[in-house]
Amino acid sequence: MRYGFVIDQRKCIGCHACTVACKEENQVPLGVNRTWVKYIEKGTFPDTRRYFSVLRCNHCDNAPCVTICPTVALYRRPDGIVDFDGDRCIGCKSCMQACPYDALYIDPETRTAAKCHYCAHRVEVGLEPACVIVCPVQAIVPGDLDDPGSSIARLVASQQVAVRKPEQGTKPKLFYLGADEASLRPAMQEGSDRYLFAEASRIPVPGEPNVAGRAAPAAGDGVDLLGMARTVYDVAHPERPWGWKVSTYLWTKSVAAGALLVAAIAAIDGLSFAGPVAGLAAPLISLVFLALTAALLVLDLKRPDRFLYLLFRPNRRSWLVWGGWILMAHGLLGTAWLAAGWTRSYMTFFALGWPGLLVAAASAGYSAFLFGQAEGRDFWQSPLVLPHLLVAAVTAGCASLLVAALAVSGDARVAEGLRMALWFSLALNGVVLFAETFTAHATQDAARAARLITRGPYRVRFWWGTVVGGTGVPLVLLVISPLGWAAVAAAVLALGGLWLWEDIWVRAGQALALS
Amino acid sequence: MNDRTADPLHPHARDLDPPAPGLSRFPPVERWDDWEEYDSKAWPKRVPRRYSLIPTICFNCEAGCGLLAYVDRQTLKIQKFEGNPEHPGSRGRNCAKGPATLNQVQDPERILHPLKRAGKRGEGKWERVSWDEVLDDIGGRIRKALVEGRQKEIMYHLGRPGHELVYLQRVFHAWGIDGHNSHTNVCSAGARAGYAFWHGFDRPSPDHGRARFILLMSSHLEAGHYFNPHAQRIIEGKMAGAKVCVVDTRLSNTASMADYWLSPWPGTEAAMLLAFVHVLLRDGTWDREFVRRWVNWEEYLLHERPDAPVAFEEFERALGEIYAAYTPEFAEAETGIPAARIEEVAREIGRSGGALSSHVWRNAAAGNLHGWEVARALELVVVLMGAVAVPGGTAPSAWNKAVPAPPMMPPPAKVWSELLMPREYPLAFFEMSFLLPHFLREGRGKLAMYFTRVYNPVWTNPDGMSWIEMLTDEARVERHACLTPIWSETAWFADYVLPMGHASERHDLMSQETHAARWIGFRQPVLRVALERQGRRFDLTWQAHEAAGLGQVWEEDEFWIELSWRIDPDGTLGIRKYFESPYRAGEKLRIEELYRWIFENSVPGLPEAAARQGLTPLEYMRKYGAFLVEDHVYRTHETPLSPAERLGAAVDPVTRVAVKGGSAVGVEVDGQLRAGFPTPSRKLEFYSKTLKDWKWPEHAVPTYAKGHVHWSQIDPARGEMLLLPTFRLPTLIHSRSGNAKWLYEISHTNPLWLSPGDASRLGVRTGDLLKVETEIGHFVDKVWVTESIRPGVVACSHHLGRWRLQEDAGGERWSTALVDMQRLGEGRWRLRHIHGVRPFASDDPDSSRVWWEDPGVHQNLTFPVHPDPVSGQHCWHQKVRVVRPGADDRYGDVVVDTNRAHQVYREWLAMARPAPGPGGLRRPLWLPRAFKPDASTYRLEP
Repeated sequence: MRYGFVIDQRKCIGCHACTVACKEENQVPLGVNRTWVKYIEKGTFPDTRRYFSVLRCNHCDNAPCVTICPTVALYRRPDGIVDFDGDRCIGCKSCMQACPYDALYIDPETRTAAKCHYCAHRVEVGLEPACVIVCPVQAIVPGDLDDPGSSIARLVASQQVAVRKPEQGTKPKLFYLGADEASLRPAMQEGSDRYLFAEASRIPVPGEPNVAGRAAPAAGDGVDLLGMARTVYDVAHPERPWGWKVSTYLWTKSVAAGALLVAAIAAIDGLSFAGPVAGLAAPLISLVFLALTAALLVLDLKRPDRFLYLLFRPNRRSWLVWGGWILMAHGLLGTAWLAAGWTRSYMTFFALGWPGLLVAAASAGYSAFLFGQAEGRDFWQSPLVLPHLLVAAVTAGCASLLVAALAVSGDARVAEGLRMALWFSLALNGVVLFAETFTAHATQDAARAARLITRGPYRVRFWWGTVVGGTGVPLVLLVISPLGWAAVAAAVLALGGLWLWEDIWVRAGQALALS
Repeated sequence: MNDRTADPLHPHARDLDPPAPGLSRFPPVERWDDWEEYDSKAWPKRVPRRYSLIPTICFNCEAGCGLLAYVDRQTLKIQKFEGNPEHPGSRGRNCAKGPATLNQVQDPERILHPLKRAGKRGEGKWERVSWDEVLDDIGGRIRKALVEGRQKEIMYHLGRPGHELVYLQRVFHAWGIDGHNSHTNVCSAGARAGYAFWHGFDRPSPDHGRARFILLMSSHLEAGHYFNPHAQRIIEGKMAGAKVCVVDTRLSNTASMADYWLSPWPGTEAAMLLAFVHVLLRDGTWDREFVRRWVNWEEYLLHERPDAPVAFEEFERALGEIYAAYTPEFAEAETGIPAARIEEVAREIGRSGGALSSHVWRNAAAGNLHGWEVARALELVVVLMGAVAVPGGTAPSAWNKAVPAPPMMPPPAKVWSELLMPREYPLAFFEMSFLLPHFLREGRGKLAMYFTRVYNPVWTNPDGMSWIEMLTDEARVERHACLTPIWSETAWFADYVLPMGHASERHDLMSQETHAARWIGFRQPVLRVALERQGRRFDLTWQAHEAAGLGQVWEEDEFWIELSWRIDPDGTLGIRKYFESPYRAGEKLRIEELYRWIFENSVPGLPEAAARQGLTPLEYMRKYGAFLVEDHVYRTHETPLSPAERLGAAVDPVTRVAVKGGSAVGVEVDGQLRAGFPTPSRKLEFYSKTLKDWKWPEHAVPTYAKGHVHWSQIDPARGEMLLLPTFRLPTLIHSRSGNAKWLYEISHTNPLWLSPGDASRLGVRTGDLLKVETEIGHFVDKVWVTESIRPGVVACSHHLGRWRLQEDAGGERWSTALVDMQRLGEGRWRLRHIHGVRPFASDDPDSSRVWWEDPGVHQNLTFPVHPDPVSGQHCWHQKVRVVRPGADDRYGDVVVDTNRAHQVYREWLAMARPAPGPGGLRRPLWLPRAFKPDASTYRLEP
């Protein structure tokens, strides 16, 4: 059994009854919506037309939100409905990144994720969803897609239906009949900062009140429009579910993983493992930044009080859960490393070398798989994300250890090695960063996001901050002035550039409208 | 990618029961009294909640759609409103305004107790009073006026009508007054007049579901009478293959769904419709037989072509001549719509074979001088196609309505109020309501007691500042009681603000011409019904509401009974007897007795249907909330007169009209006596002798005359444009939906629609400000540049621009701007926004999440009155100058000169052609009039 919807856009009159009936049935607060109607217009007078589209959760058979949800707060029922349980939600917002359809929001009252759930509580007592029964023109057809006799199955079988973003492979069960292509493809719509009978608004921070003003970037912001449709009515959408805490988390994690990674390479290679840099500074830096990483992760939760659900109610398919385990392993290993360094236990170093390398690499790299599960964001789906994170970690490790080496120990051999390593890793980081931005992108949305970085609103920060200040200048500094304050400055600039790049990368990845 | 159907199962998902086959739309009716379902917020925890499902009727637009209130059996709170599947008009479905009823009921800003002003009128100081105090004061004043022969000084002015049309006729005729004033002449009087001159009924009832061509001069897929029921059937017709044509200058949502969107220059619509007529006549694609049988062509020939033989071929020739000039090319020159497009639509109409459904309600008919001719021209197309009251056609309204008679109907009052129906407007279709401030200013009378009921003239009517001047003048309006569920701009200027219930808080009987059937719907106070089901008993609805925690919110039905007893406590005025129980002699009428009597005696088939279920008629209506009196109502005019009706009827040898007891009862067609239409000829009046006799010979047959905003009157070089200020939005309803947060979240602003060409000429972009100058002032609004409006025309939607004068009272904070109202000089007023909508603290946590700021701009204040000299309709369209704002202009500014407004009133008054008409009458006796007074009052004293 697979419940789904057909939205018959041949009939839909754009009246918003479904929106209001849903708010009433599910007591949805102001500012957020489980189902909404978007208006676009095409053409010029007198051949103008307005098109309506009813947008909501697609109840995907292959639901990315269910996969990424770390606590099984989102789940697919045997009848095909994708339901949620607010009591299990920790408010990590990863579902909002995984969903390509903009279906999820953070409820301002419970501070947990919510969305259309097919009125599962009504289905349970044998009733159709509230939006279905209110619709004046019966444009919303519910039913079992597996039952060939149902009207929905007959419609899907006999009519030409479309789904939103079929390329996402989510197997949506929300089918559109007679919809205009532009009304289902946000890339074909030009945004506006006001609408024909409403102000435009956005949700700057999920769970907090909406703010009047424009949400998604429009033409002139470096986004190429693929069509000529004008958005004339839309509801507010989360502007950026993940903000500075997540980009900073990537950066602190780079430092934490990188310090351990560089020390582990040194240990495996038999280089100066007894020294204070690898033995004490590296694990100390790693542990401090790991603690910061964990703190940022917990702080970014809308329900930080529930962060332990990650461990006690885990979804083993979520990379958030795996990430939690990896970070725990990282913590244990770092502590052991510090103990070994403190006690100068050489044998332990030998033993910890390879595990340290693996754990640090995992710690640095797992986020590539987490961001990969954020399937709504095409820009994050690049195969270069893993190299990006690994190289960034090595760079951050070299930079932070170089500062430590210059500050705490006068060991010139170690500092020189780190300087060289930093130069090469930073150069490599530049190559990866360029590759990620400029090489061919798998989808139009990924390419559009990249253009936002290079030509759009992020261009100043990207070119002057990341490329020049965070890469070019430190590379030059490292060459012209081998050691001393210039090297420290180079390391600090490199670290700053890394943070800026993660921040741009996180923001640009979320900048394009999903719906 | 993997198939993830084997995803980790949530504990709840694991113990789901195997699903039952198929889902229902509604709980089965036999379980409505005690229905259990799960709490949506606690889900997926299964927390059961038990409800009583009690039907009622929506109170937002006038469609009268069914609602089903879910009353929590434990807390007595209304959890939600769904549609009522038993309702024949709405069939269980609603528009956005249906479920938003919950906002209106739970609105933290609503008025819960009767209030009396404490300071000066309009000063904003209020104190709580008891209903007893209110009734004694008002009852005493009315009694005094009646005893002193000042019957014309009592006036009841109503915005949102319903069954009260009959209910109140009973009340006011019992009091012996001519005191009913309506909002109709700022609304639909134009279209009503056009239809009434044709067939005596004032509305169309299209059978969209079976039409082959749907011609809408309205926006029934988003607004209007009757949006939801009509939208359902328009889309049914469309899906069954009907072509849809929408005539609207701006691109409405309805137009977007149409096969043809025609955007004429406003006011030229009749030229286009008569071009359709031209093509139908030219191509011979019209129904000659229907026209021969049912149009008063003989009368036309007798009076207008006395030398020609009275033969149908003569009439055919005459028709061709009359409409020869209305070529598609002529229509293109007038309307701006390409002739080829007009030709194409006309041919499609010709192919509809009589299955032509059509509608005009406000739109063009309410916008222009002679707008009523738009409805008349549209009906000419319908008549030519023989599409009158046939399947898929367009019937007169009353045949698709059921208006059950109440008990003890008093005789008509022997009073004629010229404050309502002045002699200047003998054909006005409803009361000249919007001219009231000018009438009082001219010294035509005063009001001892003025009621406004869900009516907001200060905001809704043109020239609202003159209303404020009138309402604040205690010599002209001695007492003003505002009957309203919520604050409004008008309530602020009342002496009493009396909280009357919303949709689920009152009794009413509704019936509307939603399709080719006749039904009644029963609005009921669901909390009282729920409490009474639990064994409680109440004398009055406000007492039940108090018991349910809803303050002292009352309902008008009982208010009028109580008030009538206070006016005539001992029965000596002859009023009290009409408010006594038909079941308990001499006792005060209880509200359930009134409806019991109606359901037992006036609704054919209902007692039998109830008996089949073992219910009394009243129990049946309380349970189901609606009853289908008759389905598939067609060709009512063809009904043969029964032998009893024929007995004693005399057929006029010339007109073939059957007259009995002084009134026409039918007409002989091809030798058969049939019911026909309630016109003097009992036929469809292509030729209106009435219009000719009452000094409008140039309008004796449907015609096109240039209106007051014709393009030839507008000089773009001077920055002149046409303002189209009337269109509605799918989510709002006049000034009654400002208390619905879910609706305001969706729509809250009314920017000025402007075509890209006009925008570049003015040098503005979307969001920039423009100043719109009318004859009496100006307003400042933001621009919305759009391809959805005809160049040269600006448009601004109705509903928005609400305001209040005090921070924490006098207006819904969900929807109003706080404004500063200043008198700049004699008759000069300025309204300026202090701030827009803001979040506020209340019992509803949502009020702190209000995110919209812009409540829109109040444009109606800047319009002078434009009474059409025939229909009495206010002609809404405005010739304006659109300019860039000056340094002192702010968004939302409204500046008005009421002296200038009075001058414009005098200019339009001069266009009227006053009574008396033939026989020294004030008004043709046959022409419908609401609350028709006694025939003796029609004679104008010399």
